[in-house]
Amino acid sequence: MPLIGYLRLWLACLRYSAVRALMFRFDFIMWALVELFWMGVNLLMVSVIYSHTSEIGGWNRPQMLLLLGTSMLTQRLLMGFFWSNLFEMGRNIRSGTFDFFLAQPGNPLFMVSTRKVDLDSMANVTVAIGLIIYAVRELGLHPGLGDLALYGLAVFCGLAIHYSVLLLTASLTFWTIGSQGLEGGYFTLTEFSRLPREVFKGAANVVFVWILPAVVVSNVPARALLDGFNPTLFAWLVGSAALWLFIATSIFKHGLKRYSSASS
Amino acid sequence: MSVLAKYRYVFLTGLQSSLVYRWNFAARSAFSLVHLSFVFILWGAAYRGQTDIGGFNLAQTLTYFLAMLVIQFFISAQNEDYQIGEDIRNGMINQFLLKPIDYYAYRLTLFFSARLVTGCLALLPILLAYPLFADTLSLPSDPWRLLYGAPALLLSALIQFSIAYIFGLLAFWFLEIQSFIILSLALETVLGGQMFPLDLLPGWAFRLSQFLPYYYQMYFPTAILTGRLDQAQAAEGLVVQFIWLIALYGVGRLLWTRGLRRHTAVGG
Repeated sequence: MPLIGYLRLWLACLRYSAVRALMFRFDFIMWALVELFWMGVNLLMVSVIYSHTSEIGGWNRPQMLLLLGTSMLTQRLLMGFFWSNLFEMGRNIRSGTFDFFLAQPGNPLFMVSTRKVDLDSMANVTVAIGLIIYAVRELGLHPGLGDLALYGLAVFCGLAIHYSVLLLTASLTFWTIGSQGLEGGYFTLTEFSRLPREVFKGAANVVFVWILPAVVVSNVPARALLDGFNPTLFAWLVGSAALWLFIATSIFKHGLKRYSSASS
Repeated sequence: MSVLAKYRYVFLTGLQSSLVYRWNFAARSAFSLVHLSFVFILWGAAYRGQTDIGGFNLAQTLTYFLAMLVIQFFISAQNEDYQIGEDIRNGMINQFLLKPIDYYAYRLTLFFSARLVTGCLALLPILLAYPLFADTLSLPSDPWRLLYGAPALLLSALIQFSIAYIFGLLAFWFLEIQSFIILSLALETVLGGQMFPLDLLPGWAFRLSQFLPYYYQMYFPTAILTGRLDQAQAAEGLVVQFIWLIALYGVGRLLWTRGLRRHTAVGG
């Protein structure tokens, strides 16, 4: 299928998701509220801690809000575009419904990842952007178009890393029967992306900064807005995104070869 | 069959079925240790350059979070709301309407047996990791804290269960209750003191939180045991906690009788 075909397919999925959201309006509002509340929880935590201290790891309150906003933005985008798709992939592999995706005329990974767009999460993307704008104003920053483009690119790389981690965990379903830890594992890991890199010392530094891509996804974009373009940091981010995407897709492909359907 | 013997069987069955999921619980407690390291890193950094936040030092604050984590596995409702909702949707509650067994008491018994299993399983990894953070803890040793803490823990467990029961019963009215549950979880997480000790809130907000049921779900027993409340506050709290339990139990009963009127016994 040519690229334009995939784009048309994705637009059709988007239309389907919009119709679905309009059909289940109450559900849409409830889930949007759920995410909004959880964002509020994290915001409140930052506010309370900063009412007793002036900095965490050298980051003041508006800087921290920028970091939090960035982390929320990436997470909302992941939720909106990929979360329920990949979550259902695990379930479909177990039940055998995954056959349905393989029978479709297109790249299986694309088919699996883009079937639905959760518009409630997309609604909360605007809230995250609002928080980022607030933090930028508090900091007195005046980012130009170039800065914003860099920030966008960095968030995109962060999204690619989140997607890879999720795909990787969901693909493990090809080998194991259960993937109950998936949700808990992802949320526990993203907690660390709300912390400045500077607070990680010793073993935590090795694990969360260097081995797992928890810190790089949020810190590099936030730093790009705060200090401008830093080639080393960007190389690190783009490199991690490429590496994790490669690992995740390889594991997915291996799993695909192993997949032998399931009886109903 | 005597009432006690009846629920003893429920309890033993509950123990067995919880033990089936021991690996899930083990995984969950492993994740909670990772979460604990997040808490230690964050608060460690917040304390850098100062020895006191809200009148407590770092060791006291870390003790608070660790105690809360352990207590959580012993008393907090985990998926009881979801299970109750499923029972209603699948028509599984029909059998309770026909048999001489009370659904609330049945679920409560299962809740206690499940918490016994999750609590003990969660203690294992924490005890193993204990030498890593033993030096950073500071637990008060006043005997009155245990005296007040024990009933506070029991009442907290009952409040946790009652709230979960109420949310589960919403399945009589709504097809999908998961969003209600996660929404309420967000409130519980903040107002129960899991994100930060509630005493760090501004004075008026802390006072206000003491009149909400969430305060009595987690924060109250943890704060008694880790030295964040004095004896007078603990005594006052126990009274309010008891009133909340009665109120929540009443709401649960009301929803149950109202819900049954709507119930149309599908499947079974």
